[in-house]
Amino acid sequence: MASLVLDEDEAALAEDPGRAARRQGLTLADQQSFRDQSEGMMTYRELARMSLIEPLETMFPILKSLLETAARWDDCIQAFLDARVVKSGQYRDIAPAFLGWLVSSGWGQDRWPFLLELAHAEILEVLVARFPDADPPTGIHAEPRPEDLVVLDAATQIVSYTHAVHRVSEASPIPDAQPTHLIAFRTEAGEARLMELTPATAALLVQAQARPLAEAASSLSLPDLAPVLVLLRDLHRDGAIAGFQTFT
Amino acid sequence: MTQDRYTGVGLGLRRPHLELVAQMEGHGVPFWETCPENVIGDGGNHHRLACAILDRDPVLTHGLTISVGGFDAWDEDYLHDLGDFLIRTETPWHSEHLCFTSVDANCLHELLPLPFTREAMRHTIARVRELQARLPVPLLLENITYYAELGAAEMDEADFITGVLEGADVGWLLDVNNVYVNALNFGFDPKEWLARMPLDRVAQLHIAGHKKFGAITVDTHGAEVIDPVIELMQWTLRRLGRPVPVLLERDNHIPDLEILLAERARLQRAYDGAMTVSGVRHV
Repeated sequence: MASLVLDEDEAALAEDPGRAARRQGLTLADQQSFRDQSEGMMTYRELARMSLIEPLETMFPILKSLLETAARWDDCIQAFLDARVVKSGQYRDIAPAFLGWLVSSGWGQDRWPFLLELAHAEILEVLVARFPDADPPTGIHAEPRPEDLVVLDAATQIVSYTHAVHRVSEASPIPDAQPTHLIAFRTEAGEARLMELTPATAALLVQAQARPLAEAASSLSLPDLAPVLVLLRDLHRDGAIAGFQTFT
Repeated sequence: MTQDRYTGVGLGLRRPHLELVAQMEGHGVPFWETCPENVIGDGGNHHRLACAILDRDPVLTHGLTISVGGFDAWDEDYLHDLGDFLIRTETPWHSEHLCFTSVDANCLHELLPLPFTREAMRHTIARVRELQARLPVPLLLENITYYAELGAAEMDEADFITGVLEGADVGWLLDVNNVYVNALNFGFDPKEWLARMPLDRVAQLHIAGHKKFGAITVDTHGAEVIDPVIELMQWTLRRLGRPVPVLLERDNHIPDLEILLAERARLQRAYDGAMTVSGVRHV
């Protein structure tokens, strides 16, 4: 059935659904049944494909626009369906499965080296907004000190792209080649926010999760910790940072 | 006790309405139905709103993607989470569709019909019993719409459903719109069909809208319920002679909450009318 509804050759199915049944080793009676109900079989094909494709059209409108311009969107979708990577029964997992398939297959990235970054940026805020709720970490405090580690909120993501994929649109889907650093986080009210970071701040936020703030700042040639502490307080207030932990 | 708490016409709880519903205490909806797949493992603002409503109001749960008649292994992690969710919501039962949804561990996100064969029936009965054993509340199975019989049939749909319900000894979530749509697509009388069925197993009804595409009518859940389906709901309720809960489903072209509440109120009047005629008292 998966082959019948997901495989590329729609014309062959429309012409003779019985052949699809024969390929699956079904009996002559079953083949005839498929043949007699070709319209119903095509309805299933349309419904199942729509269920899998609609979330991609909703979640990746800019990627779709880019690929449609080159007449490759349908090819991309078919390659995704052929890979059979949708395992989860949760509808919201279809778009992340597509992103994972782009990573593993490398589809289209020889022609569009920014394609994976673009797709990731398109669902970044949704991934953060819907990150599973969890109990806050324990043993943290609110005021950052030079000897502390930074503890990000579980939903927060710090990402670095080689292209400015956060500035594209459906009308203009090709990003500039420009290193870009973002922090995506969820506010107290549960809404996703995106903020651009300098390269040094992005590096500091990554490093200071594993080594003391002052040490991380020093290694990044940030001699003055005062503005860093102000930024960290702001990010804590806004929900991106869960708190600060004494380094042991 | 269950019948006292779950009567009348409830609504499917949908994401676009969460904010408004969370703010409304006097919404008049006797119960909500929620899809566990949409809540379990989710997070953020909408998730918190959904949980607040589910903790506040009576809830029934209705699954979308457990492949009841399929061959794939159960997702034990999900079933564990589902069990916790069912206990948390205090739902009196949990429903799934009598169909398969996955093949070779690939989820197709579509309700696919089981072959109407003795082998498929035996297999499905065994699977339903396994699933029931993993759930903390009684399981109901819902009859689906189907657009083609999957292979050469050895029996008709009515006999297949009856065989599975009785063989697995589970309750029935009777979707009257699905019966109506199947009757249109396969040319039978829905009341004659229902009269053959084990109505004593019905614990809940579903009702929804549909749409015709070419020669086939599809259960879209994307339009208002039409009068003949409402009449079929009333006929069924009178035949049942007891006030089982009815759930209005709307999953596509979801209108403003106000419009959906008005449709629910219209269905509630039809429900009350059917109950009055059959002389059934309900709270």
